[in-house]
Amino acid sequence: MTLTDKQSWQALRKHAVKIGNLHLSELLADDAKRFQSMNLCVDNLLLDYSKQRITKKTIGLLCDLARECELSRWIEQLFRGDKVNHSEGRAALHMALRLPAERELKFEGDNIVSDVHLTLSRMKTIVERIHARQWRGYSGLPVDTIVNIGVGGSDLGPFMARRALIDDRRPEAKQLKIYFVSSMDGSQIAARLGTLNPATTLFIISSKSFTTIDTLSNANTALQWLRQASGAKDEVLYRRHFIGVSANASKMEAWGIPPNSRLHLWNWIGGRYSMWSAIGLPIALEVGMHNFHRMLAGAHAMDEHFRNTGFEKNLPVMLAMIGIWNINFLNIRAHAILPYDGRLSHLPSYLEQLEMESNGKSVSRDGEEIDYNTCPILWGEIGPNAQHAFYQLLHQGTESVMCDFVVSARRYTRDSAELQQQHTLTLANCLAQSRILALGDIASGNGTDTPYFKRYRGNRPSTTILLDELTPYSFGQLIALYEHKVFVQSVIWNINPFDQWGVELGKAMATELLKPLSSSDDRPDFDSSTSGLLQSIRERQSGKS
Amino acid sequence: MKIAIWGNELTAWATAGALAETGNEVLFVSHGQIKDPITLMGSSICNEPGLRDLICEEFECKRIRLVQTRTAIGIPTHILSMKPDEYEQAEEIVSKLAARHDGPLLIINQSHFGVGATDRLQTLLNKCKHQCVAYFAENVSEGEALNRIRNPKSLIIGCDHEQSTLAIQSLFRPFMTHVEHMFVMSPKEAEFTKLSIIGMLALRIGYANELANLASQLDVDIDVIRRGMGADPRIGRHHLFPGCGFGGNTFPQILNSLARLLSETGDSTLMQTVVQENEKQKELPFRSLWRHFDCDLHGRKIAIWGASFKPGSASLDGAPSLKIIDAIVAQQADARVHDPEALENVQYLYPDNSFVKVINNKYDALKDVDALLLLTEWPEYWSPDFELMKKQMKTPLIIDGRNVFSRKQIEGLGFTYYSVGR
Repeated sequence: MTLTDKQSWQALRKHAVKIGNLHLSELLADDAKRFQSMNLCVDNLLLDYSKQRITKKTIGLLCDLARECELSRWIEQLFRGDKVNHSEGRAALHMALRLPAERELKFEGDNIVSDVHLTLSRMKTIVERIHARQWRGYSGLPVDTIVNIGVGGSDLGPFMARRALIDDRRPEAKQLKIYFVSSMDGSQIAARLGTLNPATTLFIISSKSFTTIDTLSNANTALQWLRQASGAKDEVLYRRHFIGVSANASKMEAWGIPPNSRLHLWNWIGGRYSMWSAIGLPIALEVGMHNFHRMLAGAHAMDEHFRNTGFEKNLPVMLAMIGIWNINFLNIRAHAILPYDGRLSHLPSYLEQLEMESNGKSVSRDGEEIDYNTCPILWGEIGPNAQHAFYQLLHQGTESVMCDFVVSARRYTRDSAELQQQHTLTLANCLAQSRILALGDIASGNGTDTPYFKRYRGNRPSTTILLDELTPYSFGQLIALYEHKVFVQSVIWNINPFDQWGVELGKAMATELLKPLSSSDDRPDFDSSTSGLLQSIRERQSGKS
Repeated sequence: MKIAIWGNELTAWATAGALAETGNEVLFVSHGQIKDPITLMGSSICNEPGLRDLICEEFECKRIRLVQTRTAIGIPTHILSMKPDEYEQAEEIVSKLAARHDGPLLIINQSHFGVGATDRLQTLLNKCKHQCVAYFAENVSEGEALNRIRNPKSLIIGCDHEQSTLAIQSLFRPFMTHVEHMFVMSPKEAEFTKLSIIGMLALRIGYANELANLASQLDVDIDVIRRGMGADPRIGRHHLFPGCGFGGNTFPQILNSLARLLSETGDSTLMQTVVQENEKQKELPFRSLWRHFDCDLHGRKIAIWGASFKPGSASLDGAPSLKIIDAIVAQQADARVHDPEALENVQYLYPDNSFVKVINNKYDALKDVDALLLLTEWPEYWSPDFELMKKQMKTPLIIDGRNVFSRKQIEGLGFTYYSVGR
């Protein structure tokens, strides 16, 4: 039976016809206690879905759907280490990265929790050595600059987290400059290296497979730069200026990273779920291992909540099922992530990968083409900045967009009154936007005499995630919340969220195109458009045009 | 004269000793229960040449007495010889004196509280009653503290009050035989002068170190350059010796306060750079060692000769040896440390560290080592038994952070030798 034939799906469809025309302003007006029945809380992280176009009945029906899709069984399989990534024959055990040391999780005969904590203790050694200014480069000067070379999951997570946790930076890290280099074209690394001192720069080469061409070509550029500047032996450069983070020890070895400078990943972690592992080394360098453990603890708390809580009280399940309602029953195809906190500026791009690479699929686990929508287009920006960019479309455009607002109640509690006032202003803007999106003209008292161009239709659904304050712990909770949300949606849609075959062909095709770009040997089987572009590039490169 | 001395710094004790031996009755203020001056001094001050005996002698004939605050408050002449971070305590003392006295008071401040501190203390007193705080620029330097007080070359007095100036001059008259210059100026100017002198000296040493590092890259001998520079009368020879950085207690503290003052009020990073580069310079011998062994010291044994920040002192304050021991230990290599005076202090700092061994005989320290780092130019290191050294060492490698040895001689003896800028 396909998803759309399921009884609960049909029931939701009928329900959607019935309540689909109700305006959010009516829903809010009808029930003065709507907020009380439509928010959930775990450890002070509050999920408010009272501005969604749902009724209590909708929640019941969505939970029926989750049950009919056997969500509980899937959650158990996920946590147990079953090969939920069936197309690659792998488990997806990122939750194991956050289990406390005293817990046990057997996977293929090994207790992987002890492996995880062994790597965490090796990370600790590295972090402490760098913080103590005792990780020394070829000249003997202590390393004071870290360049993380990685792309996708080896870049976005640490990049986002480091920014998010800036207020928890260790004093020892203040003398440390941390940079991220990801782009294949060399423009980031070339510009960056020009400003750095090779004698005091350490590169972290992060790649789960250690075959990612983007990363390796940047790493080779870095190595060459060190060679030219230092005149030191390669062996010294590999040992003192590179740390490798990968699941592929033999490839790290082949590239030159010695055993003491390798940190291990495992095949049971997906790249976009890997910032909790040694891929998070730049985060730990910024905030210290204690705070890194707090981040893991926050995520672990969300794991436990997700695994052990009934659907109606389960934050990731509710966040996911409301998404299903919006996408599949209200036909909303765009999702905006709007953090009202500059520290979360990279949350949208992180979630772009997490959600769209996971659930941007159109074939079911059974290999069938599917006939319902899956992951919407997701994007975002720091809310107050986006207000000056795409909020126009959110309020008055033709495309209906669902929004997630993320904001903390407390900030700058030990700072100046001016900064506290700025936070109050930010909170006011956040609440103002979700209110207008929901209520439209009614929020402002606009009547029919208002000119048409000043009118707001409203009825745009949004969820607000309210943190007590942004700390390593609450940040861990927040990201784990979205990870599990993505998994829940994949279960409903019957797709595999842990593979990414849609990005593979491009890598292979790029390799095929390298040759015709570097010689005039044009293979006849390229299409006319590609051949034409190849020809034009070559002409420009040889100065003929 | 009866004088109360506040503070427990080297300067306080040396001043107490020098004033007592010239006939003054010194009341040394001590808040605790300690009745014995040696314990109160602590080992690092006690090891100052000549000081321990002098203090004991003067204590015996009661020209120095340990007194409680309330006794000290009763007399009208005071010297503040306190730590740079004890300004608030100084304010408290001056306030108490103001409350107690209705007549004249003379408070000589020789602590480094920063420019303007003496004037701030003065505001707590009544000038009309001839109550005055003056600044006296001390010139004490660890290892030769008493000599500096007994035979100063110049005196700088910061005092706006004529009678007080005369009182200070008569107090220090016994030490004026060799004084070439004496200046009386405002307290603020005197404080600033003291700061400027320290800054100038640091700049010269910093510059000499920079030149030495460049010299080794250009393969020229810094000794030749230094002599050539020093012969220019505008420059002179002093404070141009390169080495592995300067340490000490007061000197760096004053330097830091100057660096702060310059960066806060003048947006100048000159002194900050001097301070930072000096910290880097302290690890210079380690860097030579590191490069010699291809950046891998794991399991090696390294001897260190000289741990105190300068010869003649047991103090480890800001000593390059500490940075170098830390760096060696961080590489899981052994540090075998010898020092004529400071070993007790080294032991105290690394109580349970299996990588750090203190060794009383300098040749024993060399047993089976891969290298010797010379970090303090104690006289006993200048002409050692090189043959015995070679026998003891596993690898004949000497890294001379103070340019003590002659490169030619050492290399002729078959040692591999690194120094500073030669």
